Amino acid sequence: MSQEIGVIGSPDFTTGFRLAGVRKFADVPDADKDEELDAAVEEMLDDEEIGIIVMHDDDLEHLSRGVRKDAETSVEPVMVTLGGGTGSGGLRDQIKRAIGIDLMEED
Amino acid sequence: MAKDVKPTRKELMRIEDRIDLSERGHDTLEKKRDGLIMEFMDILDQAQDVRSDLDDSYDRAQHAINMARAMDGDVAVRGAAAALKEHPELTTQSKNIMGVVVPQIESSKVRKSLDERGYGVMGTSARIDEAADAYEELIENIILAAEVETAMKKMLEEIETTKRRVNALEFKLLPDLYDNKEYIEQKLEEQEREEIFRMKKIKNKKEEEEAAAREEENAEAEEAAAVTADD
Repeated sequence: MSQEIGVIGSPDFTTGFRLAGVRKFADVPDADKDEELDAAVEEMLDDEEIGIIVMHDDDLEHLSRGVRKDAETSVEPVMVTLGGGTGSGGLRDQIKRAIGIDLMEED
Repeated sequence: MAKDVKPTRKELMRIEDRIDLSERGHDTLEKKRDGLIMEFMDILDQAQDVRSDLDDSYDRAQHAINMARAMDGDVAVRGAAAALKEHPELTTQSKNIMGVVVPQIESSKVRKSLDERGYGVMGTSARIDEAADAYEELIENIILAAEVETAMKKMLEEIETTKRRVNALEFKLLPDLYDNKEYIEQKLEEQEREEIFRMKKIKNKKEEEEAAAREEENAEAEEAAAVTADD
């Protein structure tokens, strides 16, 4: 089954991806992020046609706890966050929990 | 500790069988856990490379689009973005690493040539093309990162469950079984000692009875002898 990439974020963030041909996107202006971002992310997570969700790392802060956890642990679709350096998107915590050591320490 | 076990030989044999099986399962799971962690380390190196590439290309893409915006104006960039017809597609296949199914994502139509982009070449500037180029590269990197990070997430889940199973066997199930085994063994020994003691008692009693009977017989014989002597 062929899938697509979905982008969520402020209009500035999504425009570039649309320039590269991404069709599925959710524009959430910075001012409305606290109210609307949850719904946008949930909708993307439920969309079967989306294989990868792209978000900015800072936007995760606007999500409510449950949605954030869902997004971080979701495998289908998988979420990739930009701008947060290594180990963003909850992966670092998960490694710490599963292996017992923080393997992503930045030197 | 041993609560609802019947101290019978049959139960002992059953527990011994279970201990055997659990020990074997514990060894196998431990090996699986170590193997998974080793595979995970490989992927982790890969993931860190992919991540740094991703961050670099994100910075580049942002720079490019900011340039385009500054020179051509926001409206032109948005207009070009809205005109795109071709869109990247992903197809997912799966690969098996030590029993963990990880996806292999393949993409098509990420890189597009100028005429495939859909916006008019005349109306837009080279900077928009550059921004589109940079974002196409970024998407390629995102797809790579998504593949590696999904694999990592799945492997981490598997490592966690395996670890939990190993620990449950090592610290709960096996100690309980050993406790039960010891309890039954001691109980059986106790029963054996009681049995021996009981046998000894019975033997003593029998001997006493026999001795009493013999004495009686002797007494009777003596009496009979005395009667015949009297006659």
